[in-house]
This record gives sequence, C-alpha cells and structure tokens, in this order.
Amino acid sequence: MQTLQPHDTLRLDEVKHLRDIFNAQNSKELKVAFDALNASIEISQEDLEIQFNRYFVGPMETVADPFASVYLDNPDVFMSKTTLYVRDLYETMGFTYSLKNVIPEDHLGVELDAYYQLLFLEIAKEITYLSDLRHYFLHEHLALWIPRFLERGLAQSERDSKAMTFILLQLKSLLIRETTTTRSS
Amino acid sequence: MSYSKEKVESILNNGISRRSFLKGLAASGVLTSLPGGILQANEDLNTKIPYVGQKNYQTFRNACPRNCYDTCSIKTYVKDGVMQFIEGATESTYTRGGCCVKGNSYVKRVYSARRLKFPMMQVGGKGSGNWKRISWDYAMETIAKKLLEMKKEDGTLLGAALTKYSGNFGITHYGVEGMFSSIGYTTRLAGTPCWPAGIDAQNLDMGDMWCNDPEEMKDSKFIILWGVNPASNSVHSMKYIYEAKKKGAKVVVIDPIFTEAASKASQYIQIKTGTDGLLALGMAKIIIEANLHDQKWLDANSKGYKEYKAYLDKEIKLDNVSKITGIPLAMIKELALSFAKAKPATVWMGYGMQRHTNGGSMIRAIDALVAVSGNIGKYAGGARYGHLSTWGFNYAALSQTKPEGSVGYTGVSAIKGEFAKESGAKAAYTDRSLNINKTARELLNAKEPKVRLLWVACKNVFSQDFDRNQLIRMFQQLDLVVVADQFFNETAKWADIVLPVATQFEEYDVNVSYWHYWLSLNEQAIKPLFEVKSDVEIAALLSKHMNKLEKGSCTFPQSVDTKVMTIKEFNPGIYEQFGIKSWEELKNGPVKAKAVIPYADGKFKTPSGKFEFYSDKALELFGNALPSYVEVRKPYDKFRMTSPHSRWSLHSQFQNLEWMEDMHPEPYVYINPDDAEAKMVKEGDTVAVFNKQGLLRVKAKLTDNVQAGTVLMYEQWYNNNIYNVNELVDDTSSDMGAFKTGAPGVALHDTFVNFRKL
Ligand code: SF4
Repeated sequence: MQTLQPHDTLRLDEVKHLRDIFNAQNSKELKVAFDALNASIEISQEDLEIQFNRYFVGPMETVADPFASVYLDNPDVFMSKTTLYVRDLYETMGFTYSLKNVIPEDHLGVELDAYYQLLFLEIAKEITYLSDLRHYFLHEHLALWIPRFLERGLAQSERDSKAMTFILLQLKSLLIRETTTTRSS
Repeated sequence: MSYSKEKVESILNNGISRRSFLKGLAASGVLTSLPGGILQANEDLNTKIPYVGQKNYQTFRNACPRNCYDTCSIKTYVKDGVMQFIEGATESTYTRGGCCVKGNSYVKRVYSARRLKFPMMQVGGKGSGNWKRISWDYAMETIAKKLLEMKKEDGTLLGAALTKYSGNFGITHYGVEGMFSSIGYTTRLAGTPCWPAGIDAQNLDMGDMWCNDPEEMKDSKFIILWGVNPASNSVHSMKYIYEAKKKGAKVVVIDPIFTEAASKASQYIQIKTGTDGLLALGMAKIIIEANLHDQKWLDANSKGYKEYKAYLDKEIKLDNVSKITGIPLAMIKELALSFAKAKPATVWMGYGMQRHTNGGSMIRAIDALVAVSGNIGKYAGGARYGHLSTWGFNYAALSQTKPEGSVGYTGVSAIKGEFAKESGAKAAYTDRSLNINKTARELLNAKEPKVRLLWVACKNVFSQDFDRNQLIRMFQQLDLVVVADQFFNETAKWADIVLPVATQFEEYDVNVSYWHYWLSLNEQAIKPLFEVKSDVEIAALLSKHMNKLEKGSCTFPQSVDTKVMTIKEFNPGIYEQFGIKSWEELKNGPVKAKAVIPYADGKFKTPSGKFEFYSDKALELFGNALPSYVEVRKPYDKFRMTSPHSRWSLHSQFQNLEWMEDMHPEPYVYINPDDAEAKMVKEGDTVAVFNKQGLLRVKAKLTDNVQAGTVLMYEQWYNNNIYNVNELVDDTSSDMGAFKTGAPGVALHDTFVNFRKL
C-alpha cells in the first residue's frame, strides 16, 4: 500500500466526515463528525442536532430531504425508481446493505458511504477495478441530484443555520472537486 | 476525466456481463479491502450472484383500516421487498378489485417522504419545533419513569390518560387500550365522536345495531339514502345502488346538501337540516292513514305501536311537517306512499344526520318508519346504519389484567367503547372515563389526580376534537404528551415525544367492516421502514422498560410478534361465522360471513324481545319513550355551518399526499349564491367565517348545492395550512350516545356562524 499523500488523506476524510454526518444516529455522533470537518463554528451538540433535524430529518417537514428519488422521481416519495437503480449499482459494486428496505439506498449518507468506499479502494488500496463505476456513480447520479438538494438547503430563507450552511457548502465543494478531479489511477 | 458510461451501462443492463463482472470482482480481492461503513462487502458473491432478470411479484393480503365503510380487502404486489402497487382483492365481491382514490395512493403513503421515521423528543417546550432524535429505549424509559413517578406520587395511575380513536381499526390495535390496562387503572377519553347517537337509537329500538348486508341493496326496490353520501364516502356501495336502479328501483337522496350521491339518484329531496325525524314521522303517518303499513308484522314483532300511532295521530300535523322540513306536502305524500308500496324497501342512514342535538331521536323516527312499512327483518330491506356483528374477536391484545395492588377510581362503571368492551370481574376500582367529545375541557377539569401524561394513538386530536385554543392550553399543562402516529400532524406538533408507527403493510393484523360482511387478513408485506413500530410492539417495549424499572408494574407481554398477536384474535366463533377452518385460509383471500338477515326471526335484543316503538329504557335515559319530534338546536348565529367529509381524505388522513393535494389543495367555504350576494361576496373572495368559538379565513366558492342559510366547510385537515373547521365547532352534545358508548356524541352540524368579506 502506498503512503497516502496529504491531499489524498484530506480528500478521503472529507467524504468520510460528510458521510458520518448524514449517517449519525444521535447528537454525539453528529457532533464528532461535524467537528472533524474543522468547522470554526461554535455550536452545542444539542443545537447542532436540532438544526440538522429541521433541515434533513424531521419530524416536521424538512428543508431538504436527503433522498435522491425526491429530486429525480417525485418530490414527495422515496423508495422509487431511483432508489432501485442505486440498489442495483451497489450490488454491482459488490456491496450488501443490511438496512435494505429499511432506509432507502439513495439516502445521502448511504450514497456518500458507497462513494467513500470506492474512493478508498482506489486511493488507499490502489485497486482501480471499480473506478469506472465510481465515476459513473458520480457523474450519472450524484451530480444529478446533489446540486438540487444543495440548492434547496441553501435557499432556506436568511440561511438561518450557520452550521447547516457550512455542511452544505462543504458538500458543494466536495462535489465540485470530485467532478473536476481526474481519475485517481 | 474519462470513464466509459457505455461499459458500465452494459454491465448494469446485461445479465451475462454483469455476472462475469461480479465474479471478477470477487476474484480480484476488492471486497476484502473495503474499509467498511453502512454498506458491507458482499461475501456471498460467489454463490449468490444476483439475478438481474425480471423478478416476479410477491403478493400479500392487506386490509384498509382507516375507518371507512368499505374496509377494502387489498392485494399488495411487492418486488424485491418494495411495494409496487395495490389493487382491491377480486375475491371480495364487495371490494371487487377496486379501491378508492385514497386506497390507490397507498404506495405513495407508505413511501411518503413525510412519514415519521424515528422516535423524537421535542426539547425547548411543546410547539418549539426543536426536535432531537432519541432511541426507542430512551423514549420508553422516559415514559416508564414518568408513569412510575406518577404512580408513586399520586398512589394511582389515573393521572395517565389515553385518547385513541379510529385512524387504525386493525383489531390488534386495541393493544393500545390493552397497554393502558396493563399498567393499572388509568384515565380514558371514552365515547366516540362518530356515531354514538345512532348506536343508542338503534339499540333502544332493536336491542342491537345490525344492518343488512349492503350487497343486498341490488335487489331493493326502493332505496332512501338519508344523509349519507356513498358516492364520495363508500364508493363500493354505489355499484349495488346502481344495479338496483338499473333494475327499476327508485333511489331517493334526502340531504340538506346536494351531494355526489344526490346527483346519481332518481330523486333528490333537499330537507331543512335537523328536521329529518319529523319527515320520517310524517311519512309514517301517511303510510298508516293509507293503510299501507304492515299490521301483521307490527302485531307479531313490535311493542308500543299503539302508543306510537296515537302520538302520530295527535301530535304530527302534515302541514307542519311540510312547513318545517321545507318539502312540499305532495312530495312527502308521494315519497311515503311509493316507499310503502315498494317491497323490499330500505333506508340507509348516514352518520351526519345523527350529529345534531336531536340526532338520536331522528334515527329512532326513521327506524320506526322502516318498521311501519314492514321492511325490518327482510332481505334487501332494513334500517341500515352500521353493525358490529362480525367483530367477535378475542381482543387478546386488549384484554390485560391490572398489576397487583393497582388503585383506581371508585364508584363509576367501567369504560365503554363501541367496538370492544372491557370485560372481567367487577372490581373495586375502575378506570376514570372522560368524554372524548369534550377532550380539552374534561382534561382540564380532571382533578385528584390531575392528568399529567397523555398518550395519543390512532388519532389526530387537533384535527378531530373541538375547541383548539383550549386544547393547546391543556397540552401545555401536561407533563408529558406522547403521540404515536405515521405522519407529523398538528397533534404531534404539541407533543413531547413522537413515536413513528407502522402502516398496515408493515405489520400483521386482521380487519372487518362496520358495514359489509367481509373478513380480511392483513399480512406484513414489507419490512418496517426506518424505525417504525406497530402499536402492540410499542406496548411491549413499554412493558419491558416498566418491568426493568419496577418488576410487576406492567402486565403486557414484553415482546410480541404482530403475526402471533393477530392469530390470537381468532376463535371458533369467527371460523364458524365465516365458514373457515383456520385463519390461514385468509391468505387465499377475504371471506364473507354466512348470509343472515338481521331480525328475520323476529327476535330483538330489547327488554321485550320485540321492536320497541315504546322503550322504557329510552324513557329512563332520555325522558322520551317514543320516537318523536325533537326540535333541533336553536341557531345562535346567522348561518348554519355543516362540515361533512370530503372524498379526498378520511378525517385528516390521506390529505397530505400529493395526489390529494393536486386535486383538493386548499379549503373553501361553500356559500349559497343568495347569501353570498347579500354579503357582497364573490367567488374566490377571501372571507372570514366566525362565531363565538373562533374565526377562520378561507376562500369562498358559490354553489346552490348548499341551501340558503347554510354554509359548508369540509372537516378535513390540509397540509401546511392552519385551517381547522373545528375551531368553529363547540362541543355541544347530541341527545344520545351515553347509553352504549359511554358518552354522548357531538352535535357537529348544529354549529352556527356568520361570515364577511375580507
Ligand atoms: S379508504 Fe375506504 S374505499 Fe378507500 S381503500 Fe380504504 S377502505 Fe377502501
């Protein structure tokens, strides 16, 4: 295994932290992942979660649902065509998903996990076997819906949460960087 | 960047190249290198290469539990664990392969992005909108601790109140009541906001509420749809009505509102609201005077006919009937005589009509009319209102014993409910019952101990109960409000803890109708999404946590399987009634109860064993032995407001789905053009509708479907809209209901308002 260049570590870590933010089960996990992004924003664990839930979880209507199908198929429904398409992609990537039919595969946290793992194989393990799939996933899927998700999240009037704006902008820069970066190999 | 889109798509779309790709993936060692996350490496790749060809559907049996006459038998099509579509079961001749617009949207409902997904707690006060995700264990521990603390401080659990009603009529959902029974004596919001006055009326007259099979209506010769709108709210019943009409039957709709059903009828009679009972009495008088009554049946099967006739002779003046009901006398005569001559003839009474201060007495008057005409106990006849004759389940989830040493209320009879009754030996204590139709007021007034915890299940209190402002005050006073629901609604907004509940597709259950005679199994068709749990699973988890904190404090089983719970509801009586040997036969499709004509044998469950025109019980309870004319509530404002159901929702359910929002996105007040003109209101104007209770701002629609002097506003809830018609409804009781369901109904339609252009 090669020694990772600092920028590669950074690249991998950023995907991982964003993944962990969207997969967090509680405020502690959320805060750890958020802090790992090096935000200079001071926010309590509880406030961070409250704002995160208002934006992305509920129980009230969210600012932006973190599901691809909501942007690509139908604004009110998940587990639709796009979810099943992503399910197929994961199968082809060699992934199994223990939350199958519980949390839709096109949830942002799950998709970032898939992306992170593929990138990890390429960069850290120098396995390029799945590189085409990663690019396909990025360009033909992530890049189609995440911008719309970001738009909705960032349009929240008066951008009322610095922390959420930070998360969304981090995701935005990640997407820009990944879609403009050449292949790793 | 270069990648081959074509190459990837060929792998994805072509079974053979996908297989070889996956094999190569396994061989290359990629999978062992994955860092691991929410997705895992598929270790079984070598043996389980996914089949990428067309997969067949799995099918499951389901039943719509949303409190609708039709209680459809549903067949659900699932592919790879995902619901694809549903259809009405073809085996049920009632559902006959179709569902309504609401049922057909079920896939979108189950997979709605708006579903409640995780247990959550509102921090920063009720209504603050600050929500934290909590684990099920934390949620249950919090509730359990609160309950035990209350029990310690008060010496009883009467400070814990349950309000549950009809958003999920699955039989195992009585486990919610069971859960409350299993912790001790508690407070229950008792009664029903729905149909109590009529239940009492039919029980007084016939000793039961038991309607003929609706499928028989196809052979009726005369059908009166009296204050009921099946074209919107029981769509499957319409085919029998159409069939009868096609065969020459007359279908008459009597309603103050020109409804969809009225538009399909042979004749529509617009009656002044709340005068239906008088019309029925007038019709009976005409029938008897024309000697068209069934004297033979009356002699053999009724009690008090003489007194009833004497009352009609003396008190009912036909000119008055015409004047008060607003229907020309000739029309009344024609209606009465043709109804009496047609055999068999039937009346279907809707639940709207009994939502008046004189609702029970109106149903009694109509029962009497059908009896006089000799149509009770006859095939394709009957005074139809509803029935619970196929509800003979074990109520296993409901029937829980109290923990040892439980202390409760003294001196009051046990809680009643129309579907299932608490049973067991007479105890020294009982639960405390509060009137569900005066929720806010009763909760506020309950003392010693005061109510500190409220559990809401299968119900959207803020949409369905009255006096919203008082409700908010009440909720804010409570230490802990738990709302278990499938969607975030206005009640959840005022909760401390919300618990996400499974839909019927995510659990086992069993269901029957209060209208037709079919029995349907409800199978679990898909895995529960996110962290949702069924009501009985929630009860079990609470039990586990209560017992962990204090052994023996809750008798509910500490773990349940919804399938096992469902099976426990069956008994030999059910099998016998439905002609099956085992519940497993229901996997092949719904089954229908053996044919029966209620009261055909002339046996009534009244004290006299006969149809009672004269009821001692009615005299004792309501001060009036005979079906007689009781004037409707006097107006307290300029216009009557009526708030029926719309076809796009079931109370507040379904309306939040995009299909419904597309078709019916916002509330209106429907005003007669004459009234509108007098107030200078034009179509589309925003008007304020107000009364002593509150004020609502809504757009006006002008239509003479509603009569002058009346405005109509649907009772439903709209997503992202603060409209709630119940802000204008006070909680005045209807005349009956306390006899059988524990509390009188609400005289919803005796609401009066004024309006002005804004
Ligand atoms: S709402 Fe009524 S008609 Fe519609 S699917 Fe459910 S039971 Fe059937």
